[in-house]
Amino acid sequence: MLRLVCGAILLGYCLMAQAAYDLQPKLVADNTWVLEGSTGNFSKENGGNIVNIAFIVTDTQVILIDSGPSFAYGRELAEAIRQITDKPVGTILLTHHHPDHMLGSQAFPHARVAALASTAQLMQEEGDAMAENMYRMVGDRMRGTEVVMPDSILEPGLLELDDYRLQLLQLHGHTNADLAIFDPQTGVLFAGDLVFYQRAVSTAHTPGIAVWLQDLDTLAALPWTVIVPGHGPVAGNDAPFQQMRDYLGWLDQLLTTAAARGDDMNRVMRSPVPERFAGISLAGYELIRTVSHLYPAYEQAYWQSLSE
Amino acid sequence: MYKSLLAGLLLGTCTTLLHAEETSRHTSTMWDYYHQRLLDNQEFVFDDRVQVNTPPFAEDARQVPLEIDARALPGTTRKIMLWAELNPIPQIMVVTPGEQLENLIAVRIRVEQATPIRAAFLQDDGLWHVGTGHIEAAGGGCTAPSVIRAEEGWEKHVGEIFGARHLRDNSSFLRMRISHPMDNGLSGGIPEYFVDHAQLRDESGRVLADFELFASVSENPTLTLALKGEQQARLWARDNNGNEFNARF
Repeated sequence: MLRLVCGAILLGYCLMAQAAYDLQPKLVADNTWVLEGSTGNFSKENGGNIVNIAFIVTDTQVILIDSGPSFAYGRELAEAIRQITDKPVGTILLTHHHPDHMLGSQAFPHARVAALASTAQLMQEEGDAMAENMYRMVGDRMRGTEVVMPDSILEPGLLELDDYRLQLLQLHGHTNADLAIFDPQTGVLFAGDLVFYQRAVSTAHTPGIAVWLQDLDTLAALPWTVIVPGHGPVAGNDAPFQQMRDYLGWLDQLLTTAAARGDDMNRVMRSPVPERFAGISLAGYELIRTVSHLYPAYEQAYWQSLSE
Repeated sequence: MYKSLLAGLLLGTCTTLLHAEETSRHTSTMWDYYHQRLLDNQEFVFDDRVQVNTPPFAEDARQVPLEIDARALPGTTRKIMLWAELNPIPQIMVVTPGEQLENLIAVRIRVEQATPIRAAFLQDDGLWHVGTGHIEAAGGGCTAPSVIRAEEGWEKHVGEIFGARHLRDNSSFLRMRISHPMDNGLSGGIPEYFVDHAQLRDESGRVLADFELFASVSENPTLTLALKGEQQARLWARDNNGNEFNARF
């Protein structure tokens, strides 16, 4: 009896240790699938699956757009793709260098990994540190995960993969090295982390809110029919753009006003989030991060030289 | 009888728990050490009127904002000490305030790991009134070389002071950033080079408050200080190489 109980407990632990990502690809347009992550923060429970990964099945291959937060995620992703098509994953397009988007590439040893030159540079400089940080936050499900550097460099403009065409845009708002991908065949816009929807934006590497707002204009002007945000639900209307503009505008106003009033960081971090953003996950948490990163520039813009 | 005994026991447990929670926020493994080393074992009291505000986690371990607000403390303040208990350079500043200084100080510091933050105010009742904050951190803020060293020509800007004066709540809030690498000697091959002394002075040069600063203060030290009423003020600062910097609010 005791043995049985021990066995059951042991089995329970094993199952917990192997807790799957439970990836469910969702068809969002012809031959275009999205795996939607949660709008939460990195945790041991979600294994880092807070991100949207997409893939397109062409006549000859599967084009993967970002590869996920871990080796384990990549393996499950490969299995999920095999359920849908026999075609090989031939190309991985990385939208930017953040760990949740690029750490699954190890599971696709035969795929070409492609990114903007600036993204490759940032991966070289910060990739390992970012992966380490993921081990700290996500824990065991990161096991064995390593950074796979891109082996080909993308230029903005038309990308032809066999007979499949994609329009590549080199933008700057989120990390200063952001790839957005527009598919003229289906009208799907893969916005990467230039668009967050129902999830507060992460501003750790933005060159500034003004740059980001410009990028949103560029993206909104494309003839898209479906938007795949980097985080949050896929949309068939411009609600993600509206929310992004409204939210970034609020952040900009908040920081400008606080600097003019003479608030120090802690006070700005405690600012209430407006009611209309109640549906946006982690707004309070991301505000603390945003103030840390962006407020010094707002202070500097308001201040004058006092030296004498 | 049995019931009321049980209730009494429960109540007792609850109050004990509450009390434990009240003091546990202030307890730490290093308290006794710093009580002896910095406060010379003098009488003290943990006092929630000394608010130590920090974000719950350090997004940038090289620039962690602290806000110390002890304006609710009665009496006159003779001395203020700030420190981060688990930092390689624990002390942040020692302030000798004049009558005009408000008990409100904001400063950004480096942290090397998660640590309690202490602010101790020596009042005219002879007691140190101690407030406590906590900061979570992945670490590494102290051993990373300063960012501005990577910028070409940074030497030309050392000591430049930017800031503003804000009149609010019947006080003059003085906000400032001093361009300085604040090298703490913990990064390989870069010796200590930091602003170690500053004074707020009035127009006639009379000292309004004196600040001893330590290299745990972040590079480009960013400070908010407050004076009572509407006050003009000057800042004088000096680094450990003897360079002096002056500013006027």
